[in-house]
Amino acid sequence: MLFAQILVDGVLLGGLYGLMALGMALVWGVLNIVNLAHGAFIMLGGYVVYFLFVAGLDPFAALPIAMLALFALGYVIQRGLLNLIVRSALLNTLLFTFGLNVVLTYLAQLLFSADFRTINPSYAGANVTLAGVTVPLAWLAAFLVAVLLAGLLQLLLDRSRLGRAIRATAQNLDAARLYGVDPRQIYAVTFGIGAALAGTAGGLYGLVAQITPYIGATLTAKSFVIAIIGGLENPLLVILGGIVIGLAEALASLYLGPTYSDVISFGLLVLILVLRPARSLKLA
Amino acid sequence: MKWRWLALAPVLAVLAGVPWLGDAVLIQFGINALLIATLAQSWNILGGFTGYVSFGNSAFYGLGAYGTAIAMAQWHQPFWLGLALGAVLAVVVAAVLGGPILRLRGPYFAIVTLGISAALSALFANLDIAGKNIGLILPLTRDDAMFYELSLGLLAAATVAVAWIARSRFGIALIAIRENEDAAAAVGVDATRYKLAALILAAVFTALAGGIHAYWITFIDPAGSFDTTLDVRMVIMTMFGGPGTVFGPVIGAFVLSAIYEVLANGISTAAALFFGLVILLAVIFLPKGLIDLGGGFRALGWRYFLANIERHRL
Repeated sequence: MLFAQILVDGVLLGGLYGLMALGMALVWGVLNIVNLAHGAFIMLGGYVVYFLFVAGLDPFAALPIAMLALFALGYVIQRGLLNLIVRSALLNTLLFTFGLNVVLTYLAQLLFSADFRTINPSYAGANVTLAGVTVPLAWLAAFLVAVLLAGLLQLLLDRSRLGRAIRATAQNLDAARLYGVDPRQIYAVTFGIGAALAGTAGGLYGLVAQITPYIGATLTAKSFVIAIIGGLENPLLVILGGIVIGLAEALASLYLGPTYSDVISFGLLVLILVLRPARSLKLA
Repeated sequence: MKWRWLALAPVLAVLAGVPWLGDAVLIQFGINALLIATLAQSWNILGGFTGYVSFGNSAFYGLGAYGTAIAMAQWHQPFWLGLALGAVLAVVVAAVLGGPILRLRGPYFAIVTLGISAALSALFANLDIAGKNIGLILPLTRDDAMFYELSLGLLAAATVAVAWIARSRFGIALIAIRENEDAAAAVGVDATRYKLAALILAAVFTALAGGIHAYWITFIDPAGSFDTTLDVRMVIMTMFGGPGTVFGPVIGAFVLSAIYEVLANGISTAAALFFGLVILLAVIFLPKGLIDLGGGFRALGWRYFLANIERHRL
């Protein structure tokens, strides 16, 4: 029964991990920017939902507001700052988003203090027991929101005019420009969507874990690994990548204990990258 | 060219004379600044010349620190032997890990290196000979002037090495890899061997800096030795000063260390925030580093900054 419980926990948490990685994969695939500030957007989304919750709003009702707020922030950052350097060497965009991460982290520390925050609604401890396996409702809800948003993103990219413009820009910026797409606008909107997805993930993360200004870096690394496993093209595959990592984490802590978890995740990352060199080379 | 090197002799003499001022705080600041400048200069060998961004060089720093500490505290050997042991450990790890990870490119390489320090830290936290989680205490030597001169000597050696690289066939091969690795391979550059050599050279200098620092502060533990904030600082200082140049990393390290020291006396959050803002502004306005500012500004005036934006904007 313990094993089944671990599996369920891993899958549910993994879905949320997948949602975290979704925005990073989208931005990486379309803009060719590996956004090291992605985790900071997740952190900010967590704070938006936390403060709305403290003000009396239900966390799930607060999610759309966090989404809009982070979309606006992402749009402005891309339009005003990242568009200025987007054509320079990869090292420079990496360094820039790293600096952005530092600025957002310490601004959050100044504004919100370094205290641990949890979003703790009345139903936080509620769960249902199915065949001896306990399913926390908040985790289940987070998982469903993640799958829903991935599906919506897929629909947006496949079916809408905006989605076609985004895909065209990702494939060939100059050709897209010739067909009347304004790449500055598309880049800003795409980055905004990425930030909005991160913000939603942050709000859900606050339901299952603690939020501090410093959670960004590890969440960025986790999102990166999931984006590599899931690929950059298909949103639902990214969710699947998240589930793989969620399961691996749950199983590793069950059988090996938490001491070596860093060694395990690093070993796994190297193994995945080295065994899939063709893909890594193509995207680099 | 020769006279330009002679012009550096007085600078080196002034730096070497700092301990005679007798200001203990200044000497301590100097040791820290010289060691971080050495780390930046070592990072420059691989990161600056080949463009392979490593966020894992603190692993070599930690290995240097642990090598020195294990030799001195556990085996009661002299400091020099400890430094050598640390350097050997770093070379072995660089050679073993370098094979697989240097085949990865761009962000893949960068992210993989992020994990190296964390993994080694977990490993040393479980080793009996390394004192597990608690760490090791080294014999105490109160001679800051000696540590200062050692650090200065190490920085000078690393800078001479980079100066040699910049003018050698080896350096040209590294730059060719940075500009276009496939083209470099097509004209017969054995890219993997050159990258591995650069990584090992960087590992040696980084490990020596870690060993000197360990003996200086006389205490090491896993978190302090495999300190990932060091990775961030060496990358930023190199980029700020001018990657792939001989003096850029040193200038960047000195300038940012001094500013950080002043700000950290006030609020440390403000200092960190300032660091982040410096990176943002430097990438936008000074993508080639401080060292490019002089020539560029003379040629273009204030338009130098606009030209940098114009080149990289969408």
